Amino acid sequence: MRDEAEQDIEQIARELRVPVAVGRSLDARIMQAVRRLPRHARFGLWSRLVTPRTVTVTPLVWGMLAATVAGFAVLGAMHASADFHRAAKPIASALFPKPKAAASSQRVQFVLVAPDAKKVAVVGDFNGWDASHAAYQAQQRGGGVWSVTAPVPLGHHRYSFVVDDSVWVADPTAPRVTDYDYGMPNSAIVVQEQK
Amino acid sequence: MSIAARTLIALLLVAPQAVAQDARLSARLDKPTLIAVNAIVDSARVAKLPTAPLVDKALEGAAKGSDGQKIVVAVRQLSMQMGSSKRVLGSSATPDEIKAAATALAAGVSERDLARLRSASGKRPVTMPLAVLTDLIVREVPVATATSLVIQLARSGVKDPELALFQRNVRADIDRGADPSVAATTRARGLVLRSNGSGNKPSE
Repeated sequence: MRDEAEQDIEQIARELRVPVAVGRSLDARIMQAVRRLPRHARFGLWSRLVTPRTVTVTPLVWGMLAATVAGFAVLGAMHASADFHRAAKPIASALFPKPKAAASSQRVQFVLVAPDAKKVAVVGDFNGWDASHAAYQAQQRGGGVWSVTAPVPLGHHRYSFVVDDSVWVADPTAPRVTDYDYGMPNSAIVVQEQK
Repeated sequence: MSIAARTLIALLLVAPQAVAQDARLSARLDKPTLIAVNAIVDSARVAKLPTAPLVDKALEGAAKGSDGQKIVVAVRQLSMQMGSSKRVLGSSATPDEIKAAATALAAGVSERDLARLRSASGKRPVTMPLAVLTDLIVREVPVATATSLVIQLARSGVKDPELALFQRNVRADIDRGADPSVAATTRARGLVLRSNGSGNKPSE
C-alpha cells in the first residue's frame, strides 16, 4: 500500500519535472490581458496615494524642508498678530476712548485795567455771552488790573468785558468790531493753532 | 430708498441740533423772539451758512438786555451778511472767514473789495486780514484807505502774526494822538518794505 503511494508520488514528480513548452505569443497575450484591465485599478491617483512607498531623503533636504516650514510659520504668526491688532484697534478705541486733544482751543489771557471795578467778567461767542460763566471771571491782580486766562476755541470770536454786571467795555488792546446792533461795541479775537 | 424714508433720516440727523439749539436759546429768549430766531437759523442751515454765529448774536442781544425785536433784526442782518460773504468768498470759505467777512461788510467794506482781498490772499485764510481791516475802519481809518492797505499787505504775503502786530502798532499810534489814516499808512508801508526785504512772496 505504501509502495503504491510512493510510486504515484514519484510518477507525479516525474511529470512535473518535464519542461512545459510555452508558446512565443504567451507574453504578448498576458500583457494584452493586463492592458484590458480598468485603468484605476493600476495607475489611479487614489491608488498612488494610498499605496505605501519608501522615500529616501538626505539629511540636507530634511534641513531645508524644516527651515522652510519654520519660515512660513514665523511669517504666518506675524500676519496673524498684525491682523489681530488691526481688528482689535477700533474695538479698543471704542471701549477705551482717548480724551480729546486740547488742540481745538488755546488758553488766552484777557486783561482790563479797571481801578474802580468790583467785578469783571469776560463774555463772548466762546461762552454763550454768559457773564456768570465761572471760567471767565477775572481776578484783581493789584493796581486796578484785572485778568483771567481761559480756554478759547480756535477761530474768530467777538467778546467784551462786563464790569460790575452792568457796564460793557470793549477790550482796549484788541481789534474792534462794528457791533452796534445792541448799542455796545465788542472786540474781536482770532485764535489760531500754535505751530 | 423712498422720499419718506429719506425725509425721516434727514429729520433724525437734524433733530438733535435743533433740540440743542432750542435748549440754548429758549432759556434766554422770550417765545416770540425764540420762534423768529429759530426760523432764521433754520433758513441759514438750509442755505448751508454757519448757524453758530446767529445763535451767538441772539445770545449776545439777550445778555445785553435788548428787546426781542432788536435781536431778531440783528440776527436777520447777520444772516444776510453771511449769505453775501459766502457768495463772494466761495463755497470753500470757512465759517470763521464767513463770520469775519460779515463783520467787515457791516463795517462798510464793499463786496467788490471783499473779493479783491480774497484774491490777493491766495489760498491763505482771510479771517485775520478781515479782522484787522474791520478794526482799522472802526478806529476811523477811511474805508477806502483801510481796504487798500490791507489788500496791499495781503498781496505782499504778510503773515497773520505780522498783521496782528500791525494792528497793535496802529492802535498805539492812534491812542497817542496820531491821525488814524496816517498811522495806518505809515505802519503798512514799513511792514510791506520789511516783508519784501525778508523774501515773502506776493500771492498774486
